[in-house]
Amino acid sequence: MSFNSLTRSGNSADTSKRSRGNSAASNSSNNSQSSGDGGQRSKKKKVNQKTLGVAWGANSRSSSRSSFRSSPFSDFGSYMVVKNRKLQDQFEAEAASSSHGGSNTLKPIFHGVSIFVDGFTIPSSQELRGYMLKYGGRFENYFSRHHVTHIICSNLPDSKVKNLRSFSGGLPVVKPQWIMDSVAANKLLSWVPYELNQVANNQPKLSSFFALKNALVSKDALGNQTSNVDDIAESSLDCGILKEEKFIKEVETIEERMQSDERFEDESNERFEDESRDDVIKNVSVNCCAEPLVSCGTEPTVTKAEQKTIFGEELQESPDDPCTSASSHHVNSTNMRESSNLAFRRQSPKSHSTLGDPNFVENYFKFSRLHFIGTWRNRYRKRYPSTPDGVMSTSSKDKASEDPEKTFVIHIDMDCFFVSVVIRDLPELQDKPVAICHSDNPKGTAEISSANYPARDYGVKAGMFVKNAKALCPHLAILPYNFEAYEEAVSCDEAFLDVTDSEVDDPELLATEIRKEIYETTRCTASAGIAGNMLMARLATRTAKPNGQCYISFERVDDYLHDLPIKALPGIGHVLEDKLKQRNIRTCGQLRMISKESLQRDFGVKTGEMLWNYSRGADNRVVGTIQESKSIGAEVNWGVRFRDLKDGYGVQGRKFTLKIKKRRKDAEEPAKYMGCGDCENFSHTVTVPVATDDVDVLHRITTQLFGSFHVDVKEIRGVGLQVSKLSADATKQVNERNLLKTWLTSRRESNINSDPKERTHIGLQGRTSDGSSIQLTGDSAANLIETNWCPAISEAHSNQSLEPPPLCHLDLGVIESLPPEILSELNEAYGGKLATLISESYGKSEEIGNDETGQCSTAEGSLSSDVGPSNKVQTYNEMEQPQLPIEGNVPMAVPSSSNLESSRPSIGNTDFMPSSLSQVDPLVLQQLPKELIDGIVQLLPAHRECDISAADLTLCKNMPEDQIVMRSTENLDSVVMDGGLWIGNPPNWIAEFGASKSSILNMLADLYIRSGPTGNLSVVLQHCISEVSEYTDSEFDGVDDTIHCLSELLKQYIKQKIESDIEEIYICCRIFKRLSAKSKLFQQVYDVIYPYLQASVNENYGGNLHVD
Amino acid sequence: MGDRKENATMISRIKDTAGHALGSGCDREVARILVEFLEVAITSIVFLKGVYPSGAFERRRYKNLVVHRARHPQLSHYIHSAVSGLLPYIEKGLVERVAVIFSDENNVPVERFIFKLAVNPSYGSKVDDADLEFALRSFLIKLPASGSLTEVVSRDCRWEITAYFRGLPETGSSKDVASLWIPTDTKQWQQPPLITPIKSMSSEPLSLQLYLEHPSLSEPTNP
Repeated sequence: MSFNSLTRSGNSADTSKRSRGNSAASNSSNNSQSSGDGGQRSKKKKVNQKTLGVAWGANSRSSSRSSFRSSPFSDFGSYMVVKNRKLQDQFEAEAASSSHGGSNTLKPIFHGVSIFVDGFTIPSSQELRGYMLKYGGRFENYFSRHHVTHIICSNLPDSKVKNLRSFSGGLPVVKPQWIMDSVAANKLLSWVPYELNQVANNQPKLSSFFALKNALVSKDALGNQTSNVDDIAESSLDCGILKEEKFIKEVETIEERMQSDERFEDESNERFEDESRDDVIKNVSVNCCAEPLVSCGTEPTVTKAEQKTIFGEELQESPDDPCTSASSHHVNSTNMRESSNLAFRRQSPKSHSTLGDPNFVENYFKFSRLHFIGTWRNRYRKRYPSTPDGVMSTSSKDKASEDPEKTFVIHIDMDCFFVSVVIRDLPELQDKPVAICHSDNPKGTAEISSANYPARDYGVKAGMFVKNAKALCPHLAILPYNFEAYEEAVSCDEAFLDVTDSEVDDPELLATEIRKEIYETTRCTASAGIAGNMLMARLATRTAKPNGQCYISFERVDDYLHDLPIKALPGIGHVLEDKLKQRNIRTCGQLRMISKESLQRDFGVKTGEMLWNYSRGADNRVVGTIQESKSIGAEVNWGVRFRDLKDGYGVQGRKFTLKIKKRRKDAEEPAKYMGCGDCENFSHTVTVPVATDDVDVLHRITTQLFGSFHVDVKEIRGVGLQVSKLSADATKQVNERNLLKTWLTSRRESNINSDPKERTHIGLQGRTSDGSSIQLTGDSAANLIETNWCPAISEAHSNQSLEPPPLCHLDLGVIESLPPEILSELNEAYGGKLATLISESYGKSEEIGNDETGQCSTAEGSLSSDVGPSNKVQTYNEMEQPQLPIEGNVPMAVPSSSNLESSRPSIGNTDFMPSSLSQVDPLVLQQLPKELIDGIVQLLPAHRECDISAADLTLCKNMPEDQIVMRSTENLDSVVMDGGLWIGNPPNWIAEFGASKSSILNMLADLYIRSGPTGNLSVVLQHCISEVSEYTDSEFDGVDDTIHCLSELLKQYIKQKIESDIEEIYICCRIFKRLSAKSKLFQQVYDVIYPYLQASVNENYGGNLHVD
Repeated sequence: MGDRKENATMISRIKDTAGHALGSGCDREVARILVEFLEVAITSIVFLKGVYPSGAFERRRYKNLVVHRARHPQLSHYIHSAVSGLLPYIEKGLVERVAVIFSDENNVPVERFIFKLAVNPSYGSKVDDADLEFALRSFLIKLPASGSLTEVVSRDCRWEITAYFRGLPETGSSKDVASLWIPTDTKQWQQPPLITPIKSMSSEPLSLQLYLEHPSLSEPTNP
């Protein structure tokens, strides 16, 4: 698309309304619409316009502090009225010119349509604006329900979805695809199918997801490759449904017999939706297929690419298995089958620890029983998304609690499930003691996970070490898990059934039948408990075991509970038990004597209430409530051993908690082989403003978190990352999966690509796809994603990903303008050398900056005309790329104009602000420290506080003429640079400033001399307040230079005084603030020094200066 | 950068009467003046913050200025013993900051008034008493004029005197002194605080700054 017609202020390629507003303002200086003060304003802007190209070398970071206090408008409203009018005029003018400019053949298909773009969209709002221009529509920069007819956005934050009416004013909220498709069809299509699905049913549909995803992917460089995605995705979905049926027929399970094939057909779409919401770590669904395509672009088909990326070699054994392509739960079961097979091989003396095994984490989870169990429920929920009220269903009708005497809940529990499944085919073991354990190592330090009843008679218990168990029962047979069999045997080893509504009169009879059927089908026994609620049913099962059933009628509850040891109640563990024992409470009967208030006081509100309820057999949970997973996390605490710090890990979400198990100082190598042993647990949490799922970002954050522990890596025994409050947003879940998948697979990639550049390349691709999915989800605020650190990353990989760029590659201009937090973090990363470097080459970099300004202005022509949107996008990608957000070139040090061009958008960030926060690429945003983000948020017009000031600043940068001035003051610079402004008595700057051409500098020098011998700048500034209005903005020449000299003066003053006299600095700072209100020049100086000031204060006092 | 030397800092609170160890190094006279001054200044802060009813203080004269002194023997003793317990460490130049911390009922600091001390040990023997006295006087005059000091805190707050050390004092030299120090149980803020400078004075060989730290706006309330 060509935007030449609209990017008249070429640098505004970045959709900035502000910059357009500015160009409008400068155009209209002779426009009659400006009132009296409007005229004054345009005069000011003319003044400022000279600074372009120079100003943002020195002031690029300055705008965040500006406020529209200095605005000539009486209030914000009047400014907006004028601005909106101008924007409209401008739009109309452009529309007219574009239709004259050869595009008049285009049909005005959008006639009568007026769109407002909210948030980040693809295509960008600027492109959409272009379409509206060309096709006769209107584009509103600010929402107004009188002018806007459609709201365009790709996604909405939760808050907006919830308050949709107040957000949209009842207008249709439509995806940008509507416009694209309308343009393609050359007629106005109905917006209804394009309604934002969050709005349509609050839940994204798979079909739309595909459409969007494809649209996004096709934006990528791999265009021709991805053109297939549509078809493949489509067909794989279809074939997914078919295979699904087939698959189901193949596998014989009880549940399955109860599912009719027909229902599967109907529900398979639904199931896919469900899947996309699912958050099982290893789960892979069709939705992801676009992503691996990008990263493995050379693969012939999506299917293969996906398989390869996800499952690596292990699935290559069966790459033609048709089911893997689409039926994700089949993939899972295949995966599990693989793992159970592998579980046997694992006994071979391979590397079990993080050391030397690049696939450690993957294996860790593969062999983890708890992981298997933990993800089980999710897998089955996916498989039977909405089971009808079948006899064996795990879910049941949601109904309000009825008369407790008439409700019946049956709790079915398989008897020592893990064992029975394994031994059902081994009749010779039927009555022998058997235990399940992942290893039958003679050392016997593996933990038993399950033991059958004969074994339990010997005292063998779950969680016991094999060697202890063997001591108790020498002929104990130890068998490995058989995950596959578990999966086939039964969906889960226990279930609650609410049979209140069933026709059966006698629940006991029903339970008997169920148990019978279970036994016939699975050859495993089950026990059943029947009672009025879930709690009692579970307790009844306990009595019933093994292979029996027990019915506790409502009348018998009290008796049953009376002598029940409290330990038997669910939710009472050792700690609680001990506490209760201290109070001489051992049975529920004793517990019942205590008042609820007393319990709540001693054990907390929730626990107290639970105890009180449970001791009375009350449990108001409804059978079938399924809790959404609230967090994703993964922790590894087995076999974790590190050699050095070069291993990396990543976290994600807004809030990351990194947990670390550290070996206690005195702890010996633990009894359990490679176990975590006696550890201290640490956790550290960090909150990022915008949720991320970018691996690189995660790496950075986690590394930072890890650094804050200050532990010796050799002492680490376990690592975990955790994210909570997951939302049900489908696309977000996909992201998580992507992320985790990347996490699991990245090691392999990095092994292959030992060349750092290759690595970067992959990272970039990954980002493109990640970025697109982020765009789908936007900033659903509550999304917290937690993921895990992979401690096993091979060294080659970690070397590449964690090392900061060499010191000499850093650009000081950027570093200086970094917020203090990042600066100190970086400084730490460089072992303190950074600070030295900054102070040393301070002057030098400024000099370069000045040299560059000359070139800046010569390059101005090209700058202002053709920085296209594509260019901008690229640059953003480049800027995001490094883990340390400051890598890359910066205009101050860039020698050629072409480079300058490309790096410009990044540095001129504040000038090109998108209109609202959701339009900001969250990837970029989240890398910024909190303060910076706050600054950005303030600058966004959608958060309209500082609009005017930002606009003013932009204008300042549009001034063409002052390189002349720059040259005339070169020798002054050299002194300024030396850092010796405050040396001598009177200090050097007096002479320098006195000789300067700048009247403000002259004035300062004069005031200093007049103010006597105190030598304090605050006194001078105090006097300055009364004088400054005379000088305010009357200076046309050398504004930039003056700003530069002043800020240098202040910086050196701060440096001199920061240790001994923070009060003086504080006073200066406050006076400067007052000056800023009077003069834009001082405002800019203030903006320059403010970050420096805060950094210095933070460095010396560990806090931020509190400036009102 | 960011070298708050936290790990080398002993955060302690005085709980009992001071013992007096003889230090060497820094000018003892300056240290004595400083300790005396700190006692007055801390009392002034407590008085100004209105933790106790004003009747709990009596007017006294110090360096020709009207100051306040705690009437209640326990209060006066606490302040006196806390600062004079610091004397040996100040003499050694170990004390970096002395903080008067006002906490809410959960022991979470609400305001921290920090005296940042810097004694120049290499300064010659001659101390210009008049100069120093002038500086200290101006310091005391500034206190009641400071807005942040005159803001009254709620009565049910707790407050304590905490010293931040540059390094851990060797315990071997004098056991009874070391045992006076207990680790503080005051909670720390999660975020870097906001700083409002109140007064800085620099009079060789002693420079002293007082500033107020409040929790930053992003600080979670009552974690």
